[in-house]
Amino acid sequence: MTVGGGAAGAPAAFDAKKIRIYGLAGSVLGIYLAWILNTVTGTDIFSFIGAVAALFGVVMGANAVRRVCGYGIGTGVPSIGMLSLGMGVVAVAFGLSVADQFGMGALSVIVTLVYAMIFGYVVGVIANKVIKFNIPVMEEGLTDLAAGGAMAIMGWSFAISGSLAFADIVNDVINTGYIAIIFICGGLAILHPFNANLGPDEKQDRTLVNGVMVGGLSTIATGICAFLTLTPAAALLQLVVGFVIWYYFFMWYYRLVKRDASAVVGTGLLPPSAL
Amino acid sequence: MNFDATTIIYILEIVVGGLLVGIGVHFVPVGGAPAAMAQATGIGTGTVQLAAGSGLTGLLSAGLMMSVTDNLWPIIATGAVGAMIMIDATMLTGSWIYAYAVGAPFASAKVNYDPITGFSQPPYVAPGTVGQGIPTICYVSGTIGAAMGGVGGALIYYPLVMINNNPSLSAVFAIGIFLVNAVLASWNIQGTIEGFHDPKFKKWPAAFKACLVSTFILALVAVIITGGA
Repeated sequence: MTVGGGAAGAPAAFDAKKIRIYGLAGSVLGIYLAWILNTVTGTDIFSFIGAVAALFGVVMGANAVRRVCGYGIGTGVPSIGMLSLGMGVVAVAFGLSVADQFGMGALSVIVTLVYAMIFGYVVGVIANKVIKFNIPVMEEGLTDLAAGGAMAIMGWSFAISGSLAFADIVNDVINTGYIAIIFICGGLAILHPFNANLGPDEKQDRTLVNGVMVGGLSTIATGICAFLTLTPAAALLQLVVGFVIWYYFFMWYYRLVKRDASAVVGTGLLPPSAL
Repeated sequence: MNFDATTIIYILEIVVGGLLVGIGVHFVPVGGAPAAMAQATGIGTGTVQLAAGSGLTGLLSAGLMMSVTDNLWPIIATGAVGAMIMIDATMLTGSWIYAYAVGAPFASAKVNYDPITGFSQPPYVAPGTVGQGIPTICYVSGTIGAAMGGVGGALIYYPLVMINNNPSLSAVFAIGIFLVNAVLASWNIQGTIEGFHDPKFKKWPAAFKACLVSTFILALVAVIITGGA
């Protein structure tokens, strides 16, 4: 994980550049690793690596949400998450289709990433110059967000279809409607962390750990979807991996909450007067 | 994919659709979190949720019509009606809650007299709030905005299906275009607006320019996409 270097207890500020490099490299290499392993072995058992790769994109996106929304955008954090996934889904459809038309299905991840980053940058320039946001990190933030959203959709789409071919993803992910699940679950993983943790005591490590935790939940969701598209073993493995990620990062997140809260007390069940 | 006259028309349709979505958002009375607590005029949720809700309903109804006919006009009309029904139902049930559960009188803080009914507004605005509920002018404005969003959604969806013959891929792509434009427009109004009588409405040219550029980039790639297997 890109946040793996931070030991709980230190509110370490991870550099945005470092997170971007880890996020991009992790997601692209992860998806390709999953694709190569699936192709070489002729199975779909390694599809879960695509879901893990998506988490790198999620962390990059969640960090960008945190940076941009720290300035206050006036419309609530969810809007920027939906923008991220909106740009991402367009980029994925374009990247897969273009790579397919040129007969090089494997290039789709790169084409998607390049288009997402260019479009994100343009939207960032529009937001600053035309809508006059004047947020210094807007261009950078939206470039990261578009790339993160695109890689999240790409990774989870691969996790469901087990292939990078346009025809397979259209049949297994888009025509079945699972793209909507990826869209909303992936959007939650990117927008929810900052939305849940924002405030004067917001800490970067807590926000990003929350992002990976929601990403684990999304992997559970794609694992359930995968039962209808992959072999049962591959789907079950993905479900288990998602659960393990969720559990590990949930406990980590809980530790960080206890670290940052002034006190954590149990309220018990409903008071007797309410029953 | 060769760029002939039909392709250019498709690109123009997508761009016009994106612009309608962007401008339509300015008509919908978005109140955000303050409206959810009856401390501001409008529907108590964010722009993106409302725009996405009305747009997707418009998209669904347009898709239903498109399964029957290829004629552009009934498809556009169905999209508009679907989106209008969705926003109107939201505003109507929201109004019941504001009137009978919260007990707030409907009043706009942005105008002294409702331009449609002529009713006086300031006496009914509770101190410390910027209006409550959904007054007539906001309801009418919201219906117009939903119609524009629905027409926009149908105008984006129609050329996409004509190009790639895959309704689900087109719908997903249209949702992407829709969300980008809705978010840009909602950033332009800073999250809340009452309708076309709101002073913030005068900011629409900025959203027009923003949506023009962004939709054009999206439309250029939209016409290249094929429908897969």
